Amino acid sequence: MKAKQLISLTCVTAMSVSMLAGCGSAASTGASATESTKAASQTPAQTPAQASAAASTTAVSTTTAASAAGTSAAGSYDTQALEKAGKITLTMMVSGTAYDNDFETKQLPELVKKKWPNVTLEVTKLPDDNYYTSLKTKLASGECPDIMLVQPMYAGSNACYSLADAGYLAKLDGLKCLSLNKDNSGMTYKDHIYGVSEGVSILGTYYNKSIFQKSGITAEPTTWDDFLSDCAKIKAAGYQPIVMGDKDQYVLQFGLYQLACSEIYSKNKDYDDQLRAGKTSFTDKGTWDHVLEMYKELYDKGYIDASQSLGLSASQAITEFVDGKAAMTFDGSFNAAALLAKGAGGDFERGYFPLPGDTGTVSTATCLSAGPAVYANSKYVDGCKELLDYWFDGQSDVWKAFTATGRNIVTYGEGADSTPNYALFKPFIALMQQGKAYHWSNQAWPAGTETTMEETFSEMVGGQKTTVNDITKGMQDKFKDLLDD
Amino acid sequence: MTTEARTGKKDKNRSPVFTNKMYFFTIPALAFFLVFWIFPVLQLFYYSITNFNGINYHYDFVGMKNYVKIFQNGTILNSVKITLIYAVIIVVLSNLIGLGAALLLNTRIRGKGIFRTCAYFPALFSAIVVGFIWSYVYMPTSGMIASLLTMAGLDGTSFNPLGSFQWALFAIALVEVWKSFGTTMIIYLAGLQTVDESLLEAGRIDGCTEWQLIKMVKIPLIYPTITINVILSVIAGLKAFDFSFIMTNGGPGKSTKTLMFQIYEIAFNDQKMGRASAFSVVAFFLIIMITVLMLFFMNKKEVEL
Repeated sequence: MKAKQLISLTCVTAMSVSMLAGCGSAASTGASATESTKAASQTPAQTPAQASAAASTTAVSTTTAASAAGTSAAGSYDTQALEKAGKITLTMMVSGTAYDNDFETKQLPELVKKKWPNVTLEVTKLPDDNYYTSLKTKLASGECPDIMLVQPMYAGSNACYSLADAGYLAKLDGLKCLSLNKDNSGMTYKDHIYGVSEGVSILGTYYNKSIFQKSGITAEPTTWDDFLSDCAKIKAAGYQPIVMGDKDQYVLQFGLYQLACSEIYSKNKDYDDQLRAGKTSFTDKGTWDHVLEMYKELYDKGYIDASQSLGLSASQAITEFVDGKAAMTFDGSFNAAALLAKGAGGDFERGYFPLPGDTGTVSTATCLSAGPAVYANSKYVDGCKELLDYWFDGQSDVWKAFTATGRNIVTYGEGADSTPNYALFKPFIALMQQGKAYHWSNQAWPAGTETTMEETFSEMVGGQKTTVNDITKGMQDKFKDLLDD
Repeated sequence: MTTEARTGKKDKNRSPVFTNKMYFFTIPALAFFLVFWIFPVLQLFYYSITNFNGINYHYDFVGMKNYVKIFQNGTILNSVKITLIYAVIIVVLSNLIGLGAALLLNTRIRGKGIFRTCAYFPALFSAIVVGFIWSYVYMPTSGMIASLLTMAGLDGTSFNPLGSFQWALFAIALVEVWKSFGTTMIIYLAGLQTVDESLLEAGRIDGCTEWQLIKMVKIPLIYPTITINVILSVIAGLKAFDFSFIMTNGGPGKSTKTLMFQIYEIAFNDQKMGRASAFSVVAFFLIIMITVLMLFFMNKKEVEL
């Protein structure tokens, strides 16, 4: 009896210990920046995700040598790092949905293996929400993948600037591929570059060329008045001028940011920087109130039908467009595939133009896309830098496979002008090269400001008593509140 | 040596089977529970007085600032109002429909089993699937209801509940009722089985109509079941998140931003873990208060037989 008790007790103890071992404190590999010791007391046991607990059991402590290399003076790096390293495994995490012969998860590891037989690249691709949570958990536990996807400026949960500020990203100033890009400002924080953009992303107005023809419109509008009169012509011909899926409130940004480029940024490029410094405000006359009034006009005149749009999701609106039920929709280059798909409307030709303002010159909301960045505490910082330099050099096998997917709009290197749908995007890139392209507003704001803008704008066009002043005041208050911390 | 052998007295509280060493067997489950449930909740209280943003571990203590802010800018009042309306709608409708279905399906009719299965069917689907499908049912102009209205000759184009500031909350509450009335029905059916047939016979002999039987005999006897169902529905209502997230994303405007949805938004969209933790702490106390009050109130009304 006593022996049995003893054995049972031993088993119980063993089980408890093995379970709790997974939650051990790997405080030394904590996500704190290399300088501060304050956060060292944070243990990964705090995260409820069991996965992270299991991961840290098998954790290999990242050495301080690697972090020293990451924060070393920007400039040259060891361009033969991968050749010299023995058999190593690099890990990479990106967001998105995997497709057939996926570039990141299938083609990239194969091509990397071909170039460096001693290097195995492991890529994980997760849908957006999972990606953000997973990335945060991994950063918190100190088990971050060597390469991760970051958004430009302050956009979203994996914003380049926020991660750089927290000390998670390695400086990439020495990379040769960066000089091939004319403008890296979206990935530059405090004079150092922290990410390599995968190309450019565009916000524009897709339109149905056959409806335009039937309505008697011969050319794309270049002024706001032209645009309004085109909408009137389409309405007179019996078609719905614009369809938007306003139930998914984020789509409001697609039209508003295009107008913001024409009305605000083309007149004052540093508007958002001044906002942060407190020198301007959203409530300043002639800035956002003007943009909001212009966009509201489309609802007032019925060119966007608020009684329908507020109940349509973004994908339902895209279906309406491809079914030929509306002439135009505001959307980004990232949705080109969905908008060019064949629907009930048949095989009509699509066009894409930047929404014009009333300043006389056309500007476009075209800016750097998200792209890979290197984890500052990775063991193979120089190796990752070498890999990125090879990927983005404009001529390597990886580059060619990368541009062939057609999911990125690149501005240099081989294949830049033969990516699918390049004809649609060419005018935007031309504008960008003339210096008439600006960032998407939310990239410069603390995340959450745009939510207030979207909420209050839907209230306004939905018949609630909200006014444009309420919207700008709401945005300013939220902006100040978010910046406060 | 046992206590008995040493002192000659038998320890009345010692059971020969359940010795003290048995408590060690609770350690794994207890440890698991503490680490993955209790500790994170306590952490919530800790983070609520900081300005942690979820990524950067260089945060500062800000005292009660988070709490002050959420009361100041009216977000918590808006969310509480919306959540309470939502909870009331689903408690009332879910229980009425569940009770009605249980009373009907407790009678002797053919195909009772099939009807019960059909009524329970919606509860088996995940909220994501249900929400997604219903957003196509509610879609303006080409959605299911709008098309049916057009076919019936009515104006289908003006039907847009998810885009309406007044009706969006009601529309998503209706979907939750559709999904959950099966569960309440099952619990009511179980409760109705405990009603003694002889009482109902006695009532019929005394000349009661069916409705009087239901009102005077059946319902008082199933008060415990009603208590359980109402409490469960209230808790489900106060935790409402799924359909706001799937079907309307908090919109239009702010009209479907329930408590849990608002917490999610502050934590993951605004990236303010500290503020969201403060919000969660307030929500935590609110839900406890409401649940305790309800339990107290309803326990008093239970009839002892």
